[in-house]
Amino acid sequence: MTAERLIAASLVVSALASLALVVVFFVGGHPQIEGILLALALGGLGAGIVIWSIRLLNAPIQVEERHPLASPEQTRNDAASTVDMRSITRRTLLVRLLLGAVGALAAALAIPALALGPGPGRELFQTPWRAGSRIVGDDGLPIRPDDLAIGSVRTVFPEDAIGSPEAVTLLIKVRPSELRLDAQRMSWAPEGCVGYSKICTHAGCPVGLYRAEEHALLCPCHQSTFDVLRGAVPTFGPAARPLPQLPIDVDADGFLVARGDFPEPVGPSFWNLTHTETDG
Amino acid sequence: MFRWLDERLGLAGWARTGLRKVFPDHWSFLFGEVTLFCLVVLVLTGVFLTLFYVPDSTPVVYDGVYLPLHGQTVSAAYASTLDISFEVRAGLVMRQVHHWAALVFVAAIVVHQLRVFFTGAYRRPREINWLVGIGLLVFALAMGITGYSLPDDLLSGTGLRIIHSVIISIPFLGPWIGSLLFGGEFPGHAIISRLFVFHIMLLPALLIGLVGVHLAILWRQKHTQWRGARETESNVVGKAFWPTQVFKSTGLMMLTAAVLALMGGLIQINPVWIYGPFDPTRVSAPAQPDWYVGWLDGALRLFPPIEFTLFGITIPSPFIPGVLLPGLAFGIMTLWPFIESRVTGDNREHHLLDRPRDAPLRTAIGVAALSVFVILTLSAGNDVAAVILNVPLEATTNLLRLAVLVVPIAVGVLTYRVCVELTRREAAAPGGTRPVAVRLRRTADGGFEEVD
Amino acid sequence: MRRLAAALAGLLVVGGVAVALSLEPARADSHDLEPGSIERGARLYQAGCATCHGDSGEGVDGWPPIVNAGEASADFQLRTGRMPYAQERGQQAQRKPPAYGEQEIRDLVAFVASLGDGPAIPEVTLDPALLSPGQRLFASNCAPCHGASGNGGALGGGAIAWPLTDAPPLIVAEAMITGPGQMPIFDWPQEDLNATVTYVEYLRSAPSPGGFSIGGIGPVPEGLVAWFVGMAALAAVVYLVGREWDRTGDGG
Repeated sequence: MTAERLIAASLVVSALASLALVVVFFVGGHPQIEGILLALALGGLGAGIVIWSIRLLNAPIQVEERHPLASPEQTRNDAASTVDMRSITRRTLLVRLLLGAVGALAAALAIPALALGPGPGRELFQTPWRAGSRIVGDDGLPIRPDDLAIGSVRTVFPEDAIGSPEAVTLLIKVRPSELRLDAQRMSWAPEGCVGYSKICTHAGCPVGLYRAEEHALLCPCHQSTFDVLRGAVPTFGPAARPLPQLPIDVDADGFLVARGDFPEPVGPSFWNLTHTETDG
Repeated sequence: MFRWLDERLGLAGWARTGLRKVFPDHWSFLFGEVTLFCLVVLVLTGVFLTLFYVPDSTPVVYDGVYLPLHGQTVSAAYASTLDISFEVRAGLVMRQVHHWAALVFVAAIVVHQLRVFFTGAYRRPREINWLVGIGLLVFALAMGITGYSLPDDLLSGTGLRIIHSVIISIPFLGPWIGSLLFGGEFPGHAIISRLFVFHIMLLPALLIGLVGVHLAILWRQKHTQWRGARETESNVVGKAFWPTQVFKSTGLMMLTAAVLALMGGLIQINPVWIYGPFDPTRVSAPAQPDWYVGWLDGALRLFPPIEFTLFGITIPSPFIPGVLLPGLAFGIMTLWPFIESRVTGDNREHHLLDRPRDAPLRTAIGVAALSVFVILTLSAGNDVAAVILNVPLEATTNLLRLAVLVVPIAVGVLTYRVCVELTRREAAAPGGTRPVAVRLRRTADGGFEEVD
Repeated sequence: MRRLAAALAGLLVVGGVAVALSLEPARADSHDLEPGSIERGARLYQAGCATCHGDSGEGVDGWPPIVNAGEASADFQLRTGRMPYAQERGQQAQRKPPAYGEQEIRDLVAFVASLGDGPAIPEVTLDPALLSPGQRLFASNCAPCHGASGNGGALGGGAIAWPLTDAPPLIVAEAMITGPGQMPIFDWPQEDLNATVTYVEYLRSAPSPGGFSIGGIGPVPEGLVAWFVGMAALAAVVYLVGREWDRTGDGG
C-alpha cells in the first residue's frame, strides 16, 4: 500500500529528526540545523497524519440538520419571567443606592491607576538647557566653534544632562553668510554654529539624517524635512512646526554655551502646546 | 478510563454528539485553524523566552559574547535578549520562530477575516462571533506591538517613541495617558516592565479567553457552508469531527508549526544586535514597525503637515492619522454586520455563503478598503522603495498620497463591474443558472423533501 | 604613513560564529612623491577635469572648486569612480568602476593636492579592541543615513546614502574626513576614525547567525517574507490539506 508506506516514511523521518534534534542540542546547538530538524520533526508528523486522514480514513460525507438557534417562545417567556426585574426595580431608592455604591466602588478601585506615574508636568514645555549651560558632545567635552568643520554635524547636550532625551540638540556648522535667520536668531548662531532640537516636532523621532549640500535635516520615521538655513522650517513631510532653535553664545573661555532654553516646546505637539506657563 | 471519567462527569452523551458533529469541508475554512495553531506556537515559544527574558530597563554593562557591544551600557532587557540570541541554547531559533509566528499569526487573521467578509459569513446569526473576531484582532495587534518593544533595541525604542507621540496627541487626555503609561516623561524606566505584564499576562489571558468564546460560538452555531447540490440553509454537509476533522486539524497544526520552525531556523528576523541598544537620542534608518502596524505608520507619513489650534486647543498632526483613522477603521469594521443588514434590509439567517460576486456592493467596498490598507502599508516602506526604484523619496510620498485617494474608488468601481458581469454571464450561459434554487430538507424517515 | 597597518590575526567569536576581519592590501605610500607625478597629474587634469573644475581648481560656471579639496577628497572621488562626473547636473555623483588606473589616480591626487591646502589621505588601523566603541560611534553618526546594517538608504531630495558593503576602510575614512556630496564631515580624532572603520569593516563581513539576512533592513523585507513565504506556504498547506481529495465517500 503506497499510502501506508508514505505515512510510515513520514513518521520515521519525523522520529529521526527529533532524535537528531536532541543530539544537536547536546553537541552545542546551531540555529539553522535546529530549525530544519524541528521542521522535519513537525512536518513529518503532520504529513503522516494528513495523509492518513486523506487516504485511509475514507469517512463518509454526512448531512446534519441545523437546529434552530432560537429557543421556543415558551422557553424564552419562562426565562424572562424568571428574571422578573420589576420586583427589583420598583424599589427605586435601593436600586439607585446600589448603582451609586457600585459606581463609587469602581471609582475607588480605578483611582490607584494614578499611582502609575505623575501627571504631565513641565517637561513637555521645558528642557534641561539653562542660560550658560555648556554645550558638550556625548563624550562630555565642551566645544569651541573652531572644533567644528563647516559641513559637520554633532549631537550635543547640556553639560549636566548628557543623554537627555529632551535636551538633545543637533549642532551644525554652516557658513554664516548662508544662514537666512532673522536678526535675533542670527545672533544665536555664533560663527555659523546653529543648534536645533533633534526631536522631531511630528512624532518625536531623532531627526538624524542630514543632507549637507542642501542643509536639509530629514527624520527617518516619517520623512519630515527641515531647512537648517531658514530656522529649521519644515519643507516636506507631515511635521507642521519648525525644530526649535537653541540660542547659542560663546562664553569667556571661547566655548559654546546656551543662552537659555529653547524658545518653544520641543518634540511632538500636544493639545495645550501654545498655553503659557500660567495656564499650562 | 473512559468509563471512570463518564461515571464522574457524565461525558458520554456529550462526547457522542461532539465526536459525530459534522463540519463542512472546504480548504478556505482552514485559515482560522492556521491562526489558532500560530497562537499555539506563539504560546509555546513565548513561554520558553519568558524563562530567560529580563523585563527590566535598569542599565547594565553588557559582557556577553557579542563583541561589538562588549562593555557598553545597555538595559537588562536588551542584554537578556542578546543572551537569548547568542548564549541560551536553542534560544535564537526560539526567538525567531516566535517573531515569525507573530507576523504570520496576524497575516492569517487577516486572511481568515477576509474570507469571512467576502463570503458574508458574519451575517445573522454570526454577528456576535464577528465582534469576537474583531476583539481577537485588536488583542493580537496589541500583543504584536507590546512584544515588538520588549527587546529594547534601537528600532523598537523608536517605535515606542512614535506610539508615545501619538498618545500625547490626543486632546486633553493624551499627556495624562502618556505620563501614566510610561511612568513619567518618555522614555522613563517603567515602560518595559509594564509592556511585559501586558504581553505575557493580561493580553494572552484576554486573547486565549476570547479564542475560547470564538470556538464555543462556532461550535454552537455550526459552521457556514458553500452552496452545493445537497447544501441548504437548514443543514450541514461535511465530515464528522472524529476522525476526519481531528486528523486533519492535528496534521495542519504540525504542518503550520513546521513552516514556522523552518522560517525561524533559516531566515533571520529582527537582528537586535545590529540595531544596538535603545537610546532616545539616536535613530537608524530605515525605521519601520512590523507589517501589521505599517498602515498606521504609512498614514502618518502620507498625512499633510496640518496642525491647527481651535479655541486654544492644538490638534497635533499625528492625531488624525494616528488616532482618528484607526478609530474609524475599527469602528466601521465592528459595526459592519449591522450596517449591512440595515442597508440591505436583510435580517434573515444565513448559513450558506455568498460568493464574492453574489454581493457586488459588499465586495466592492471590501476591495476598496483593502486597497487603502495595502497602499498605507506600502507607504510605510516608501523609503525602502525609493532606494530600490531609484526615485526621490518625495516622489514616492506624493504618488502614494494620490494613490490612496484615487485607487480605492477605481478598484471599487472595477470590482463592482466585474461582479455584475460575472453574474450576468453566468445567467446567460446555457443551462448556467447555478444550483441555488433547490433546497432540501432531510425528513425523519431518511428521505429528502424540497422546501421553499 | 598611509598604510592599513595592523592585521587582525585574531578571530572574533560572535555568537559561536567565527569571523575574520578581512584586510585590504595596503596601498603604496604616496607621500613619497614620485618625480614627475604632479606634472603627469596636471596633464591628466587638463584633459579630464579642467572643463568643470577650472585650470587651477577654481571651479568654472558654478561647478565646485577643488582648490582645497586635498589628497583625501581626490583619492576618494577618483577611486570610487564618482569623478569624472557622468550624471546630469544636480544629480548625486554615482559610484562606478574608476576611470583611471592606479598610477593615474596617484598622479591626479598629487596634482590636486598641490593646488591648495586640503586634508591628506588618512591613516587608519583596524583594531578589534575598538569594535565596541566603533559600534557606538557608528550607531550615533553613521546609522541614521547608512542604516544599522550599513546597507544604505534614502535621504530625500533624490539622494541616497550609499551602502557601505563595498567600501574598504580607507575609503570610509576618506569619506568621513572630507564629507563628499551630501555627507557631513566627521573630522574626528584618530582613535575614533579607527574605531569607526573597524566596525564598518566588521559589518561588511558580519555573519547573520539567524540565517538568511534578507537585506538586514528590518520590517519591510520581514513583512514581505511573512506574507509571500510564510503565509504563501501556509496557504499551500491549507489547500493541500483541505481540498476535496475524493467525493466518493457518501454516507448521506
